[in-house]
Amino acid sequence: MKEHSLLSVRGVRKTFGQFVALNNVDFDLPAGEKHALIGPNGAGKSTFIACIAGQLPGVEGTVLFKGEEVTAAAPVDLARRGIGRTFQISRAFLDMSAMENMTSAFVIANGAWASLRRSVLANAEDSARSMLETVGLGDHAGSRVADLSLGDRKRLEFGMALANDPDLLLLDEPTAGMSIKERHHLMDLVAARIDETGKTLLFVEHDIDVVLKIATRVTVMVRGAVLAAGTPAEIAENEEVQAVYLGGHH
Amino acid sequence: MNVLPKMTPLRWGIAGALIVLLELVNRLAGVGMSLVLTEMLILALFASSLNLLMSYGHMVSFGHAAYFGLGAYGFTLAVARFDVPVELAVFIGPIVAGLGGLVFGALCVRLTEIYFAMLTLACAQITFTVLFQWYDFTGGDTGITGFMNPRFGLTEQNFMTLVLVVLVLCLFAMAWIVKSPLGLSIRSVGQDRWRAEALGLAPRRVQLTVFVIASVFAGIAGTLFAVFQGSAFPDYAGLGFTLDALIMVVLGGLNSFWGGLVGAVILVQLEHWVLMVTSHWELMLGLAVLVLVLVLPQGVVSVAGRLSNMLGLGRKK
Repeated sequence: MKEHSLLSVRGVRKTFGQFVALNNVDFDLPAGEKHALIGPNGAGKSTFIACIAGQLPGVEGTVLFKGEEVTAAAPVDLARRGIGRTFQISRAFLDMSAMENMTSAFVIANGAWASLRRSVLANAEDSARSMLETVGLGDHAGSRVADLSLGDRKRLEFGMALANDPDLLLLDEPTAGMSIKERHHLMDLVAARIDETGKTLLFVEHDIDVVLKIATRVTVMVRGAVLAAGTPAEIAENEEVQAVYLGGHH
Repeated sequence: MNVLPKMTPLRWGIAGALIVLLELVNRLAGVGMSLVLTEMLILALFASSLNLLMSYGHMVSFGHAAYFGLGAYGFTLAVARFDVPVELAVFIGPIVAGLGGLVFGALCVRLTEIYFAMLTLACAQITFTVLFQWYDFTGGDTGITGFMNPRFGLTEQNFMTLVLVVLVLCLFAMAWIVKSPLGLSIRSVGQDRWRAEALGLAPRRVQLTVFVIASVFAGIAGTLFAVFQGSAFPDYAGLGFTLDALIMVVLGGLNSFWGGLVGAVILVQLEHWVLMVTSHWELMLGLAVLVLVLVLPQGVVSVAGRLSNMLGLGRKK
């Protein structure tokens, strides 16, 4: 583990039957970085995020978070340790309003899930209202999530992931399915929030423009392994990356 | 879903008027009607407890009668076998049901969806079999009778009033739970357990909590039923009672707080009135369920909601 790494991954391997999704991946994420994971489809990016997030059984290797091993930790344990996340496919509570979703996130973050007290709920609602304003959903507080646009849902999920003030935020393709304008809107919001709080971001992204604009560091994955890592400028210049990922025309 | 319609002064007025109307019918329509209303209110409480699981936790139980039965037997055995005063035993019934819910629930919440439902069925069948076979203690298939004056010796009308009061108090308690942070957590896990888990919520713990709560309310209903009948039979924990409660929730309206209550009113009143005309009650029930599910897939409560909106009684934004 490198010094000052918030997250350190060593020799992580994950197979699905005969298929090797991740093959001996080493990865270090210092605190305060906005780190992008890029690579062609099937490179193992989402699997890597899922391994860190404790979503997959049978992960080989070691994952350290804040110096403590969390390789086999459950998602709920990771959330309590300070890892927040959003999903590739939007996963908000669809049949609840945006306000209820956000309130739920704050109730959980406050460790008050079993409370019967209205005052606890009122406090969580105050926090939720403020966070909805922050992510630009103040006007949609009462809207049912199923009726929100994809972009609004992603912003809601981002806000929910921030509720327990995580040290590390994992965003798996946060802009998938969104228009170019929506993508930049969301990721500008994410970057501003990360800069403001000094937290750490690891995100999977296909839009290279977004990556170059937001990321302070980039890791390129191909066929379950790390191909290259560096600053966005270094990655853009890397010939291997150009050949494999960008098709060699940059 | 509408978690619980906001109670405007008008809605409080309507609810109060319905309670007064129910009490008037109880007092004026004769003993037979009081007995029907009492059974209806007890089943409404039982169905509402199942509704808590189904509509908010999205947990379909095929064995909820186990906790109704445990409530009934918890009370009955305490009085009949341990000479506990009835005033104290009425609390033992729900506690026994809650403990049953804790033990069986811990097992059931390990699985989800249909597998969860099958486990609840298995647990209920175990409960039923124990009650049915343990002659020395539970009386077996002959049950336990004659251990107390039915209804604490109260008149039919007075006992119905008592049950009405208990039902209203239980509904208040359920509404409080639904609108609390716990209620929000229950709904969150019900809607997307993975999302809830990623936020730091342990889904099984939440599911077990609502399972136990629903079991306690079912136990209260079971205790009331044992007092009402002055007896306890293994059938109270049988599949028939579970199916009745499931039908009530679906008929009344899944995903609505009032679904169980409205379903119980429809089912019990339908049975009462249909049996006056024909003995083919089951046939009529089957037809009624068929028609209602096809015409009103969201249950009868949805009609009330639409009517309320049409009349401008809905929530003002």
